[in-house]
Amino acid sequence: MDKFFYLIIEGIKNTLRHKITAFTAIFSLFISLYIIGVIIIAGDNTHKILQYLRSKYKIEVFFKENITNEEAIGLIHKIKKIKGIKNATIIEKADAVRIFNDQFGENIIDLLGYNPLPASTVINVDRNVRESIKIEPIIREIRAIKEVDEIRYQGNLINKIERNYTKLVNYLPYFSGSIIIIIGLIIYSMIKISIYSRRETIKSLELIGATRMFIKLPFIFEGIFICFISVALVFPSLFITTKGINYLISNFTSFSIKANFDPYIFIWLLVLVLLISIIASFRATSSFLK
Amino acid sequence: MIEFQNVSYTHSKGYGVNNLSMSIEDGGFTFLIGPTGSGKTTLMRLIYFDLFPNSGIVKVNGLSSETINRKTIAMARRNIGMVFQDYKLLSDRNLYENIALPLHVLGFPIRDISSRVDEAIELVGLEGKENHFPDELSGGEQQRASLARAIIKEPDVILADEPTGNLDPVASFELVRLLETIHETGTTILMASHNYNLIKGRGRPIFELKNGILRVR
Repeated sequence: MDKFFYLIIEGIKNTLRHKITAFTAIFSLFISLYIIGVIIIAGDNTHKILQYLRSKYKIEVFFKENITNEEAIGLIHKIKKIKGIKNATIIEKADAVRIFNDQFGENIIDLLGYNPLPASTVINVDRNVRESIKIEPIIREIRAIKEVDEIRYQGNLINKIERNYTKLVNYLPYFSGSIIIIIGLIIYSMIKISIYSRRETIKSLELIGATRMFIKLPFIFEGIFICFISVALVFPSLFITTKGINYLISNFTSFSIKANFDPYIFIWLLVLVLLISIIASFRATSSFLK
Repeated sequence: MIEFQNVSYTHSKGYGVNNLSMSIEDGGFTFLIGPTGSGKTTLMRLIYFDLFPNSGIVKVNGLSSETINRKTIAMARRNIGMVFQDYKLLSDRNLYENIALPLHVLGFPIRDISSRVDEAIELVGLEGKENHFPDELSGGEQQRASLARAIIKEPDVILADEPTGNLDPVASFELVRLLETIHETGTTILMASHNYNLIKGRGRPIFELKNGILRVR
């Protein structure tokens, strides 16, 4: 037991003995983990941003002039059954007059002597779907209803957003995976270099009769200690970054979204970096042992 | 007991030892002399199983170069204390930590380590330097620290490879005297040197290595 504690303490002492190496390692790990953390947070919040944008999707359907409010309600029930539609709000003929009045400052009935404005409905699409929303099939189904006179929607904008979202969903895992692999290799190389600089120590320990495990464990514990420090620094930094982004969004933009910070990110980062560090320390020391 | 049976080892650059046979009895004190490049270090490395013969057998304390494996090499080295010309002290640890290291390797309880280190430091005359780092010590002091590290685990054998190579004559003489003191406790000692004047007239067997070939002087 004394021996095991000695090896743990040696691992921690090694960090203090080689302050510049340790500082470089902690700094590099901090930067690497911060980038990974930002990617994880961005990935985690992508859907939220999309949901916000999707909440702005609107389809306005105008019924033929002769359709009464009651008939319009029946048609709306029919429209609601179309796959991909979340809800639909009726704008009765009288509501249309009010809206006209609000927008143009004139009462159309006073002008024309009758109400020419049709009943209509504003449709919201179901935004809680992971896959991209296909707006055209919905429009086709609505258009097939013979009582529908006109449909207004931001087709190009919706298609553009959905197309870019699909691209993001398709490429983000590859992009994140590549970044994580590159950063993993950086961490791995950094630990190897740090151990390489102490190959004489490894040789001396070998000559004293130290077993391979006795030589490796302090390096592994040192790596673990450095990882803990790095993650402990990264976690509050990511938290502050998220808070900062939310502050900027709420104070300087008109978006009503809030980036979410998942506390489990701490565990993910720690597991990731510990895994890389243990493998790198183990392999690097092995390469200097006969 | 250290025994060489027709041992040959050639480095890639050509030098080494050639068909060498010898034995050193337990408790013996033997000097090994020869010019630089004569094969002294190769012979030492063969003893602590850092090299393995191209042909022949090396036996140390009952362990044979033919059958030894990676794990038993570490065990074999625990019974061998080594002193090198370049000391091989760990520059990032102080004197106390350097000397205590073999005891940690052997798994000694922490409470026993302190008293043993104090004894070793006293034996080599480095009291008061416990917290000094190797680069804060003179060459002679570093070599005595290296010797303290070698003897602290009370090994059966001490191999001293040119231990006086970087020392002035006075420090060299003191170191040989220290080795003789340690030998009195029954430790087998093999000391390599190229300084014949330092070892002559001490009444110890002297092996001479020249171009990898051994003869008794």
